[in-house]
Amino acid sequence: MPTPSLDPREAWKPLPAAAWNSDLARHLLRRAGWAARPDEVARAVNEGLPATLERIFPAQPPPLERPVYLVKATERVQELQRLKRSAPTVEDRRAFDREENTLEAAAMAEFSFKWLQTAADPARSAYEKWLFFLTDVYVVSFEKVRRAELIFRHWDVIRQNSLGPAPELAKAVSRSPAMIDYLDLNRSSRRAPNENFARELFELFALGEGNYTEDDIKQAARAFTGYRHNREGFRFSTRDHDAGEKTVFGQNGSFVGDDVIDLAYARPAAATFLPREMARFYLSDQTLPHEFFAPLGEEWRASGFNLRDLCRRFFGSVAFYHPDFRASYIKSPVHYYLGLVQDLGLDVIPLERTTLQPIRQMGQQLFRPPNVRGWVGGRLWVNSSTLAARRQLAQTLCSPFDEDRLNADERLEIEVARDAGRRRFTVDADRIRAFTALGPRGIADRLCDFFLPGRVDDGYRAALVDYLEAAPDAAAFEDRARRAAITVLQSPEYQLC
Amino acid sequence: MHPLLPSTRREFLRLGTKGVGLLAFSRFAPQFLVQSTLAAPRPEKDRRILVLVQLAGGNDGLNTVVPYADPAYHALRPTLALKEKDVLRLDDHLGLHPSMAPLHALLQEGRMGVVQNVGYPNPNRSHFRSTEIWETASASDESLSSGWIGRYLDNACAGADAPPFARDNEPDAIHVSAEVPQSFGGSVPHNTYGLSLGARAGRDDVALLERLASRPDAGLAARAGQDHDETANHAFLRATLMDSLVAEKRIQRIIDANKPEAVYPGGNFAQSLRNVAGLIAAGLSTRVYFVSLGGFDTHAGQLNSHANLLRQLSEGLAAFQKDLTARGLDDQVLTMTFSEFGRRPNENESAGTDHGTAAPLFVMGRKIAGPLHGTAPSLKLEKNADLTFSTDFRSVYATVLDRWMETPADAILGARHERLGFLA
Repeated sequence: MPTPSLDPREAWKPLPAAAWNSDLARHLLRRAGWAARPDEVARAVNEGLPATLERIFPAQPPPLERPVYLVKATERVQELQRLKRSAPTVEDRRAFDREENTLEAAAMAEFSFKWLQTAADPARSAYEKWLFFLTDVYVVSFEKVRRAELIFRHWDVIRQNSLGPAPELAKAVSRSPAMIDYLDLNRSSRRAPNENFARELFELFALGEGNYTEDDIKQAARAFTGYRHNREGFRFSTRDHDAGEKTVFGQNGSFVGDDVIDLAYARPAAATFLPREMARFYLSDQTLPHEFFAPLGEEWRASGFNLRDLCRRFFGSVAFYHPDFRASYIKSPVHYYLGLVQDLGLDVIPLERTTLQPIRQMGQQLFRPPNVRGWVGGRLWVNSSTLAARRQLAQTLCSPFDEDRLNADERLEIEVARDAGRRRFTVDADRIRAFTALGPRGIADRLCDFFLPGRVDDGYRAALVDYLEAAPDAAAFEDRARRAAITVLQSPEYQLC
Repeated sequence: MHPLLPSTRREFLRLGTKGVGLLAFSRFAPQFLVQSTLAAPRPEKDRRILVLVQLAGGNDGLNTVVPYADPAYHALRPTLALKEKDVLRLDDHLGLHPSMAPLHALLQEGRMGVVQNVGYPNPNRSHFRSTEIWETASASDESLSSGWIGRYLDNACAGADAPPFARDNEPDAIHVSAEVPQSFGGSVPHNTYGLSLGARAGRDDVALLERLASRPDAGLAARAGQDHDETANHAFLRATLMDSLVAEKRIQRIIDANKPEAVYPGGNFAQSLRNVAGLIAAGLSTRVYFVSLGGFDTHAGQLNSHANLLRQLSEGLAAFQKDLTARGLDDQVLTMTFSEFGRRPNENESAGTDHGTAAPLFVMGRKIAGPLHGTAPSLKLEKNADLTFSTDFRSVYATVLDRWMETPADAILGARHERLGFLA
């Protein structure tokens, strides 16, 4: 996949303005975001690439407020913890535990819906996907952290530092309570340093395997001792901190955690580590050689590891638009879901059963990556059962919303969403009827041109036209128009971007 | 490729020159073509099936097969050590974790064996890297892109006159895990199937989808006017979809009709094994199954969580073996556990254990020779030092490939590894 024709020195130069066109704009919108809606494509073409990148990666991270339910659930959990301490029996304590778990899971689901709805907004897509990428580097999991509030704060810490210098992001993350719990910093003390965080800092956050020694980890772990948190947030416990001299990467000093992060970013490997992770997330599931990223890494280091700068260079480069990197990347389940929502012009259905469960069945659980490495992605997303889940989702979102099946709680959630102006949950009959006016050839073209990356061969279009033309009457044609749309969204080509 | 290819399939051969492997291509063929061109299913009387059970996260070996009589063990584990009176005795030195009674019984009946202190030289303590080492059967300092099961499948499919490995439209290997195991990766695509609890396709008309996925000149061009080149991912998606369209109908029918002859406990792990037993009983030609139990990364407060995990493992495996035995299938199935590493002998300050090196693994089948294989690890250790392995995991693989799968193990593993005594 790393094309010999693409010289690393040329690859990261800005794309010439004359090359910018609607095909490339679609590629940018699908890769940096989730989908390429015609209005967004037109806007990007008009503005030009640099201005588009200025806009979709803004100078200031856009805010995301804490969901109201999360606040309420967190208050109740704190109350439950007080109650638990004075609970008379084990049974009482267990009942409190159960309520606590239910509240936390519900709060996590609430945050999931809120984030998905925000990320589905075309104006926010690229930024929220960038945030999603960074949380896939600085991984924590609700599975271990168990506190929705801490997960929310973790995402917020990353959000606040998502477009500034990368070392500042790493330092902020090392103070994130969720990270302190997830990688056992809370257990790490002067007498018993825990290596978990130090190891992942080097291996998965900043440098990559092979760029540090086991001894660097042991010594770095000592620098991160004493990192704690309480209700207010990060707390540094001097008593638990090892203030002695450490040797990390050959340097001596009574380092604290921040010093170790600065030492890590002074290593040569730091300049290409995050660009390579970006390439894996945005460009290609093939491992591209380290040397390919060297020029980009040098520029990034010279910018003080500025993340917004890296985004603009990466998404504005010749390499990003190279034909080898187009219509070839397998969408993640979250991408597939949000791509459908945007392509079909839908709102996120705020129900676990219809939204979070399908994403999980496709192989991805928001806030619950499989391990500290995050999602590996690529072909690992694809097997018979995950493809079956993708097919089911396309079918559901293109079929009338079945309100009869909702239980009372679900109906209430739907009412609340409707009051907030979100009411397009699936593709309804009116939209399909309007669609049928295009006729067989028109429908086939619309489906291929709007939904699929790149251009499909004529055989694909012909199969759709044949299918549509075989409808014996108007009712059957409407049914086939819907079926054709579903099938395109289920087809191998729509899994790619 | 099958030597008896009829001319009706020749048009598909062109795909072979466009970067799609022939094996992948053969799966695009419509089902009626496949059925009409393959020889009758081979007899499956003496088929041998391997079930791999992954203990993801790094299982604490010292608290699984417990050296209860060794004072050093108790010194290493002030809060986590299991007491002599609690362990399930194997001999005067070793016992199983108290929550493994069902496996203890199997051990005593000669249907389970322990391979002790399994690892590899220059151990890596990264979950991902060490899992990769185990799944690709590589040395610690080499990187292989194919998995050991994938290479086994490569080998079984190679040769001009070899028949297709599994019967067509039946997966070569089935995994019950969200992601495809790295061990399944071959040098050519193999038909592997991911089974999950819950995900099921809705009833719908899939004829159009079949036609789109199986069209011979499939391609996506980056821009108008270019050739419609098919990328590797595109070919992969088409192959997987076609495979799954055919396989899913059949497999779901089997699972719906499965009538286990043992009571399985609740939980995803045991239910996964229940489904595997059903598929084996239905006579599927699939030779390898992969089931995963996660949560073994016990850095803190491990006593309860580890006990729960070992209980799930033990009860699940025992129910599975009982089911197979009742159905007269136990002579066809070998089950084997593995985990990316064991854990540090010294417990940490969080009543947990950190990433370590070697650990025991279990093999289960109708006839396992002897309960204990290899030697127990030495616990004469410096503070916070790790165990030194005494049996290389590739010896376990070599034994399984050679004596169970009856395949040239050394070719698949790329080197000669000593065979162990758990299989005669």
